[in-house]
Amino acid sequence: MQLDIRLFAGLKCNNPDLACFGQYAFNLEVPTGTTVGELRGILAIDPSIRLLTMVNHHHEGDDWVLEDNDRIGIFPPIGGG
Amino acid sequence: MDKILRIDMGATDGPKYKTEPVGEYAGIGGRAMTSIIVAKEVHPLCHPLGGENKLIFSPGMLSGTAGAMTGRLSVGCKSPLTGTIKESNAGGQAAQVLARLGYAALILEGKPSGDDLYKIYINKDGVKIEVDNSLKLLDNYPLVARLREQYGDKVAYITIGSAGERKLLAASIACTDPQLRPTRHCGRGGVGAVMGAKGVKAIILDDAGMKMRPPKEPEKFRDANRKFVEGLRKHPVTGEALPAYGTNVLTNILNEAGGYPTYNFKQGQFSGSVNLSGEAQAELEVKRGGTATHGCHRGCVIQCSGIYNDKDGHYLTKQPEYETVWSHGGHCGIDDLDTVARLDFMDDNIGVDTIEMGVAIGLAMDAGIIPFGDREGAIRLMEEVGRGTPLGRILGCGAEITGKTYGVERVPVVKSQALPAYDPRAVQGIGVTYATTPQGADHTAGYAIATNILKCGGDVDPLKTEGQVELSRNLQIATAFIDSTGMCLFIAFAIMDQPDTFQALLDMMNAFYGLNMIGDDIVTLGKKVLSVERDFNKRAGFTAQHDRLPRFFSTETVPPHNITFNITDEELDQVFNW
Repeated sequence: MQLDIRLFAGLKCNNPDLACFGQYAFNLEVPTGTTVGELRGILAIDPSIRLLTMVNHHHEGDDWVLEDNDRIGIFPPIGGG
Repeated sequence: MDKILRIDMGATDGPKYKTEPVGEYAGIGGRAMTSIIVAKEVHPLCHPLGGENKLIFSPGMLSGTAGAMTGRLSVGCKSPLTGTIKESNAGGQAAQVLARLGYAALILEGKPSGDDLYKIYINKDGVKIEVDNSLKLLDNYPLVARLREQYGDKVAYITIGSAGERKLLAASIACTDPQLRPTRHCGRGGVGAVMGAKGVKAIILDDAGMKMRPPKEPEKFRDANRKFVEGLRKHPVTGEALPAYGTNVLTNILNEAGGYPTYNFKQGQFSGSVNLSGEAQAELEVKRGGTATHGCHRGCVIQCSGIYNDKDGHYLTKQPEYETVWSHGGHCGIDDLDTVARLDFMDDNIGVDTIEMGVAIGLAMDAGIIPFGDREGAIRLMEEVGRGTPLGRILGCGAEITGKTYGVERVPVVKSQALPAYDPRAVQGIGVTYATTPQGADHTAGYAIATNILKCGGDVDPLKTEGQVELSRNLQIATAFIDSTGMCLFIAFAIMDQPDTFQALLDMMNAFYGLNMIGDDIVTLGKKVLSVERDFNKRAGFTAQHDRLPRFFSTETVPPHNITFNITDEELDQVFNW
């Protein structure tokens, strides 16, 4: 299934086996049933960073199962005011 | 800070000052000081621009010490914009210097009878109040440049631009940063108009010969401060995200969450948001020879500010904050950072609240005065504010007056103050704060975004009603305390997530004052400040019916979530049920 992925605030795809390596805005083909947590592994994002993930504008946890054409936004801890 | 300086601007034969012991106001500072004094000494039915109103400047309880992050100055009065009690605070150097001069508060009272303009110089030897009509209608940048010729570079300046002199309801009070730029503003609520009504153009603070305020227990204070700084540095928000990207790092996440108010709160997302993001802004700033990391006061270790240069590498403005990039950007359908930066400079220079101005311009767009997205049109409207034309005066008096003048139905204000950069339908917790804080629509008063969107200090679903009242209540109490310490509110990210950093803050307070405060004491002070503010508002004629959002938030849905604000009136009335 296809995912529309945006990585923010300095996050990038760290998996050199992927065409999107080094990018922060891309579409990605992943196996059906991939979860948010598994996507993190596919993108090889540093596991020590606490991430915040939005799927179709909703906050979702690592166990959330992604679906075809989902819009994903992934953030490290950020703040402001 | 053992003394209070009172300046009667309306005294016969000219302004007179007296210094008195802090007396009954001992042991407090910042917002606690300004709100308690306003509640006690200002008639709640007075005209805010009249002689009965008082304008109180108070550094925080830890300002002027060697503690990190302690540079916030509180300014309090009855607000001419909202008619409520008002506390508006800013960073910059003024709080540190006023505190080291030993003043727990500077109170401007009365009103001069003529139209002379005064400057007030305060140093360790006393106070000089002088007429200087050559400063009339100077805006903040040229004003500070002129004052520097006389007073030099080792002082802190508190000034108003032409907006304050014209008594526009969006007028701000500017404090200079360490490099003497007038870029840190007490923005909300028209406090600049009160300073202008009292005929004061500039306050110059000179602490030459004064020392840092000494703690009662110096070693404990030093140790607590060290742990506090370590905590700020290790937290990813205060130690990484804010110094790297500034507050505008919020653009992308609010847009992704569907809570980014666009085209006057018609949508929760803006298609041009990626061009306005903190990431794009930081990259541009660095590329042009500016910086994305800068502290607004000495002692700041978070360094969330920056410098924005134009395409030729010349200074244009300080790094625009998220609220500015939203109000002049997405809210108005403008997706160009250079336009936003020019408007930010104009806000700082003319001396107006960036939130109120941006929302007012968006309302002018909704009214058809100029179209949404019209960059040069927005600049022209701000120029009118700077010239004080009739249209400029309407805009400069804020969102509600602009909306009413042009017959716009959708006017996003609470207690006449414009809503900031978060749609309450997509972030229900901030809607509770907007509606109920005594300050009018104010996001910092109880920043529910932290827990609704950023998942800091817990996790409350932004789209549901559960937990929002308790969240806003707790944050309003905690913020009322932090606003009294002189600490930058961004310490909240670290102290909410890291108990040892929270303890370090308590230890700093205890070591400085020789106290034994615990967490409950923070709640006690926070509740006291809020109770005092609500009591003033009640005496000023405000009721529970004023603790509401505009009706359209409950009847109109906002995409992408297609949701209304769903907290009931009965729930809103529970926020202060202690």
